[in-house]
Amino acid sequence: MKKLLSLVLMMTMVMSLLSACGQEETPEVNKATVSESSKSSETTETENQDPVKIRIYYSDNATLPFKDDWLTVTEAEKMFNVDFEFEVIPIADYATKVSLALNTGNNAPDVVLYQTTKGENASLALNGALVPISDYAEYTPNFNARVEEFGLQDVVDKLELADGKRYYMPSLFDIPFYDGGLILREDFLEAEGLEAPKTFDDLYVILKAYKAKNPDSYPLTILAGPRVLYRMTMPSYGISVGKNGASGTNTLSWDYEKQEYFPGAISEGYKEYISYLAKLYAEGLLDPEMAEPIDGDLWSQKMATGKAMATYAYYDQIGGLTGASTIDGFKLQMYPSLEGTAGAHHQPKSKTGSGIMFPAATAKRDDFERVVKTIDQVFFSEEGAKLWCLGVEGVTYTMEDGKIKYADELVNSAEGVYKSLQINYGCGSDVTQMVWINEREMTKYDENYARINGEVAAMGDVIQTIPPTPMFDDLTAEDAGVLQTPLFDTFEVWADAFITGKKSVETDWDAYVEEMKTLRIDEFCKIYNDNLGN
Amino acid sequence: MKRYHTKGNIIFDSIIYVVMILVLLLCLMPFIYMLAVSLSDPNAIINNKVSFFPIGLNFEAYKQIFTYPNFFKAYGNTIFYTVGGTLISLIMTSLFAYPLSKTVLAGQKVAMKMVVFSMFFSGGLIPNYLLISNLGLTGTRFAMLLPFAINQFNLIILINFFKSIPTEIEEAALIDGLGYFKILGKIVVPLSKPALATIGLYTAVFFWNDWFNGLIYLNTSQFPVMLFLRNIVNGTSMIGDAAGSADKATIAISIKSAVIITSTLPIIILYPFLQKYFVKGLTVGSVKG
Repeated sequence: MKKLLSLVLMMTMVMSLLSACGQEETPEVNKATVSESSKSSETTETENQDPVKIRIYYSDNATLPFKDDWLTVTEAEKMFNVDFEFEVIPIADYATKVSLALNTGNNAPDVVLYQTTKGENASLALNGALVPISDYAEYTPNFNARVEEFGLQDVVDKLELADGKRYYMPSLFDIPFYDGGLILREDFLEAEGLEAPKTFDDLYVILKAYKAKNPDSYPLTILAGPRVLYRMTMPSYGISVGKNGASGTNTLSWDYEKQEYFPGAISEGYKEYISYLAKLYAEGLLDPEMAEPIDGDLWSQKMATGKAMATYAYYDQIGGLTGASTIDGFKLQMYPSLEGTAGAHHQPKSKTGSGIMFPAATAKRDDFERVVKTIDQVFFSEEGAKLWCLGVEGVTYTMEDGKIKYADELVNSAEGVYKSLQINYGCGSDVTQMVWINEREMTKYDENYARINGEVAAMGDVIQTIPPTPMFDDLTAEDAGVLQTPLFDTFEVWADAFITGKKSVETDWDAYVEEMKTLRIDEFCKIYNDNLGN
Repeated sequence: MKRYHTKGNIIFDSIIYVVMILVLLLCLMPFIYMLAVSLSDPNAIINNKVSFFPIGLNFEAYKQIFTYPNFFKAYGNTIFYTVGGTLISLIMTSLFAYPLSKTVLAGQKVAMKMVVFSMFFSGGLIPNYLLISNLGLTGTRFAMLLPFAINQFNLIILINFFKSIPTEIEEAALIDGLGYFKILGKIVVPLSKPALATIGLYTAVFFWNDWFNGLIYLNTSQFPVMLFLRNIVNGTSMIGDAAGSADKATIAISIKSAVIITSTLPIIILYPFLQKYFVKGLTVGSVKG
């Protein structure tokens, strides 16, 4: 018994020692000491400074594996006198690694790329794990200038957390791209003498014609899951319950005129939308497997073999398919958003993306000011932005009469300018490119893509802004969460039943609305509207 | 004595053989299919022509995996972790299991209870991470090897095996003048080869497949190959949902198949050599002799 007791005591001692070690390392941002030390470093600044050493987390995608000898990386180090130590972490596990580093404060890098303060990061930030970068606006002149240039002050202000501070520098877009949408077989339209579709009714006619010629086919298929179809098409019916729609509410939509949320899942717009899909399904025009996740390979098979002729997907997915199909004359084309009952719209898009955050420990560095200023220069200055987008002038491109001309090697490559720039030089990686200027980006794509984007831009407000995220405190967030789950479950069950004809939109609609109301969709909506903050 | 080859027996055996062959095929077919897909031309895959033989022989998928930066270094890392980790684990487990197999040892029961307790309740991810990093192991290869030196389940198998060795042999050795370390090294360990081979294989497979600990404790240059392969598999499957870089989506499945083949082949090659020990070790370990 004595032995056991002493053993337990010893264990407790060891445990408490270890946890004390952990506490010791808990980071705390002390702004006063930071600015003091940074002032002193500023005065000793000389032109022949050693490169500033920055340890940085990079989210690695297998299709674009990071190479530390990329021209962009080596050039950025030279240009801005910095010595990066990249920690290359697989994208699938990136969030885990970042979360661990921030949660424990141990081994955190100086800079984390490709993150936002959504989800867990928000509470980590509020608990002091991140540097409130908005407090150091004077260290980020290039970022501030960009925000002003693109007119994004309001959007960036909305990234502040409940304490009124912003904890990361997002990537910035001047105009969002129309990078994916309705894609269908242009060769079929030409063969049948059909016009390019402008409305959902036109699409119906085309699908119907294809089905008549190919009775075994299901002309419209989807990629990934029904959510992609929903978020790309619903806005034309005045609703948006996809993930890019109403901040993940799943059942609410944003009224752009009234600037408020409304219960989109039981609106007239949704009724019309779901009736349209039900009609397609009933006539065998919609892929019956659409409710299941259709992966890239299966999708390619369906499209390439003619089992389907239309889809909602991304533009750069067309190329591989066209080359692979054995059908004569096979040609895919992307079309601008179709017109529904609420006009032609695409999924709403943000003008800010994932960006740069600084773990709290970075603020303890003596040269914190220099680190932030360097990062600001590397990613947001004009030279930096050009480097991450286009590469190095004279190597990857030249300027002729103010126009960008890419090196022959890039123009003639089988993979195209965009992909070659990415793979060979590290340009255009979502992780490192922080400034996205639409006009500049378009030079990397083929003329067709630029033409479609031009058409979409000319159509007006096709790509609307993302609705604002309400600022919930913990209690309200929980209330909203409790309401959200059963609402979404019910919505999903009914959506599936409506589309597949198990329930009729005509006769069962009222029962559905009644059920959603019993689950308090109105109250859920009110919580969102009451917490919009401004 | 009855003759074995009676009509009933022959029918019974035939049924067993048929069932066995079916099960064998069931296990083999996915693997053969994957091998075929990994070696086929993307066009053939997209047009759904590939079954069990590669169509339009094509090594692109393998080329792509092998040209991944640091791939071979990572493969080397994995081999190092597997060999080093297994050795450390076998030594540590044997050293721990031997005294615990002696019921006469004071505190043996308490220690045993603690082993079992820690088998069911662990600290969780963040305390573990704090412990490893406060011990100064993060960023060193030891972070992969030391925390997993003793696995309780393997330990219990080994304790049971050691217990089954007749004490008379050890007593004789003691009388002949051997110390406990020598008894362990010269008598007990050689007699326990099947058990050691079994837990050795368990451990080797664990280290071979382990990517998560590499991810959280190590730097990029120390990553095991499984982490790279996981990135390739997940990276290619994520294309469908993300904009950009999708021209490779068309051959995602052949890359995935090639990854599976590349990562499982070494362990599959190793298995037949250890299989006889494996069966023996497990049965002897679980049933007291």
